[in-house]
Amino acid sequence: MQMTERAFAIGSLLILLAAGVGVGFIPAWTTEQKPSDIARRRTPLEARGRQVYIQNGCTYCHTQYIRPQDWDHGAVRVAQQGDYVFDRPHLLGSERTGPDLSQEGGLRTDDWHRAHFMNPRFTRPASIMPQFRFLTDGEITALIAYVQSLGGKMADARVTRQKMWHKALAAAFARGTDANFAYLHSLVPEQWRTMPNPYPPTPEALARGRFIYEQSCIGCHGNFGDGNGPAARWLYPKPANFTALRRIGASGGLLYYQIMNGITGSSMPYFKTELESEKIWDVSNYIAVSFIGRSDGNTAPRGADAALEPVDPHAPPPPAPESVTAPPLTSPALQPEVNAARGGMPMPGGGRQGASSPTPAQTGPAQTLPSPRHAHPRPAPERRRP
Amino acid sequence: MRFLDDQPGSAARNWLLSGAVWMSTGVLFGLLAAIEMAAPDFLGGYRALVFGRLRPSHFNTIIFGFLSMSLIGAGLHYVPHLCATRLYSDKLANAAMWLWNLVVLSGIVTFLLGYTSAHEYGEYIWPIDILAVITLLLLAYVVFRTIARREEPLIYVSIWYFGAALLWTAVTWAFMGGTGARYGLNDAVWTWFFGHNIFGLWVTPLALAVAYYVIPREARTPLYSHTLSLIAFWALITFYSHTGTHHLLQAPVPAWQKVIASIDSVMLLISVYAFCANVWLTLRGRLWRVEQSIALKFVFAGTIWFFIVSTQGSAQSLMGLQRLTHFTNWTVGHAHIGLLGFAGFIASGAIYGILPQVTGKPIYSAALANFQYWLMLLGTGGFAIVLTIAGLVQGSAWLNGEALYRVLPELGVYMVARAVLGTFVVVAAEIQLWNVTLTLLGRGPKREPLEPAISLFDQQLVEGQEPEGA
Repeated sequence: MQMTERAFAIGSLLILLAAGVGVGFIPAWTTEQKPSDIARRRTPLEARGRQVYIQNGCTYCHTQYIRPQDWDHGAVRVAQQGDYVFDRPHLLGSERTGPDLSQEGGLRTDDWHRAHFMNPRFTRPASIMPQFRFLTDGEITALIAYVQSLGGKMADARVTRQKMWHKALAAAFARGTDANFAYLHSLVPEQWRTMPNPYPPTPEALARGRFIYEQSCIGCHGNFGDGNGPAARWLYPKPANFTALRRIGASGGLLYYQIMNGITGSSMPYFKTELESEKIWDVSNYIAVSFIGRSDGNTAPRGADAALEPVDPHAPPPPAPESVTAPPLTSPALQPEVNAARGGMPMPGGGRQGASSPTPAQTGPAQTLPSPRHAHPRPAPERRRP
Repeated sequence: MRFLDDQPGSAARNWLLSGAVWMSTGVLFGLLAAIEMAAPDFLGGYRALVFGRLRPSHFNTIIFGFLSMSLIGAGLHYVPHLCATRLYSDKLANAAMWLWNLVVLSGIVTFLLGYTSAHEYGEYIWPIDILAVITLLLLAYVVFRTIARREEPLIYVSIWYFGAALLWTAVTWAFMGGTGARYGLNDAVWTWFFGHNIFGLWVTPLALAVAYYVIPREARTPLYSHTLSLIAFWALITFYSHTGTHHLLQAPVPAWQKVIASIDSVMLLISVYAFCANVWLTLRGRLWRVEQSIALKFVFAGTIWFFIVSTQGSAQSLMGLQRLTHFTNWTVGHAHIGLLGFAGFIASGAIYGILPQVTGKPIYSAALANFQYWLMLLGTGGFAIVLTIAGLVQGSAWLNGEALYRVLPELGVYMVARAVLGTFVVVAAEIQLWNVTLTLLGRGPKREPLEPAISLFDQQLVEGQEPEGA
């Protein structure tokens, strides 16, 4: 074949145009642009935040789609075509140096994000994200609004719940350390409040717990566990001061529950997607020994028995506590996803704890802060002993 | 040197020099970005130097500055040379050179200021897009007018690639620049159609064209097979243009598009292996020339990187492997094997091979060029190993259910190693600029001016049916 300039120029251009039609135009013509159940338009503030996200190249490290094989952050929902119909330009991303953000909205508070943008190491010591302290206040506010909108209507439901709980938590915090801890502990189901740490606080376990603490907790709770980590300046309510628990007391199970599920409405995120059970027990032991001064680890029931349902097969089932009524959710259609996002997965202690916590609407905590005793008058159920 | 020089060869020289300058700039952005990955507070959070702004500055400067300008500079020499005529207009080609430099420079400025279209590999904002398309069309005009007045009846394979790549890229860039009407996943599909065409229909053909020119010439032997070069050319445009969606295999785009992208990513190997067979068989029995010609050494290494990166790329376009590698540093390693290994080595080879031909001045120091070669080889090979391992660590941890945040501390050592290897590449780039500058200043060894190169055409006409040694 003799290649003339006509042959290679026009011939190859025709092939290229055919390819462009086949893999560019035809998909654009045939793809239905129908919003999915969670897609919504952005507010002007969120759109401005999206511009800040684009300008600073956030998309080079953060993807915005959950793949079928993904675990971790946001993996409650695999991305659908309709989730993106309002996105221009698209921000799917090609590298996941940081976590996927497509479902980030409402998982954390605005305060947490602000501290994180000041320096990501403040909240996440192992992060390699750049500081964004150079952004103006307005830019950070817009960026936070955008991040909180990621996940569309599902994120909105989470944000609504965060805000609702935030009021109650802020009111409790304003009442002082004892009232605050009393309130926070009242939110933990009885069986967790009375459960000791099943693992003994051996030096090895404490070293492992310290490793986890340094990676995940130190930014807010600080070197001394006093709640004065570098991020604390931007957070309200302030991170818990563990040293105060020396007087008030906290069981291993209570710490475990709050680390696992986080405290909705505060900047305490949940760690259940990144820390396995034993790691949480280890860090609970570390906090208990280092900051509270004593650990209930290695008291009976210990080991596997502590994690079993405290049920005697011959006894009648115990009465359900008042708080098991499921709280009303903003949108019934979203309920399964919201439960899953909140942590409606089966817990080691049994039951679906995420959906069964009391809401302020039911207990009215903002007005009267119930003490744990009053919230849960039932005595601790007898555990099966080894 | 006048602003718009009309001296023969001045355009090629200026494009090659610009390429060397942009390489020395682009790698600095890369090194800063690599250090930020290892030590995120290193620069203390300056707005213009945040990672997300350095990254587009790095790869756009490398692709459109270093690679494009060196390889085009080579083209502006071999097209008239292979056509046995002179360039249609050095003045126009020099004008295009200034415009293209303006594209690259304004790209850097806009990215650092935060103006970007956010389409990966197509980040330039629309005014720059327009400027780039105009420049490409201007170059295409010069090149095709040169071809039209050729004295040689046949057109050598390098010219097909060079001329066609200018047209292909002008067309895809015009489509891409016409952004504004696409939302969501349609936009993603278009972005990657463009993004992959930048590798496949711009950098690849420009680099292959140089390899087709430099290898037979420096080895003093005709090209092995005209038929293989035909197969490689037509397979490239047929299959490479469909592969963009393999960047979205796990995104919710329609399955038929993923199937086309995956299949054509593998079919692409026809083109790759036909090319590699062709140039390697050309070197059969003459590999010793690699030690004598620094240009051949660079270009030959580039063809080996091409074989590696294309085979790897086809493999990772398959759904099974991509489950493991997507989103990880494996892909970053792949990009560096392709753009620094394959295209970068060939672009440096083009600078060293063609600069003496267009200026008549020998290279200032072959020893420095050789040192640069080894630095680049260590850097690229190191990137390939370190980033691939880091990618496998990430990918396997994620697939096993480990949270991304908990895998980050495991990557620290690889990020440090990558930054160290990056300094090798930076030193190599600065050596190249030094060497090129002193060459142009005439500080090279004093010799008689080089003889005009022998015409590849005569050689190819002779071998046409009967390759030497067959």
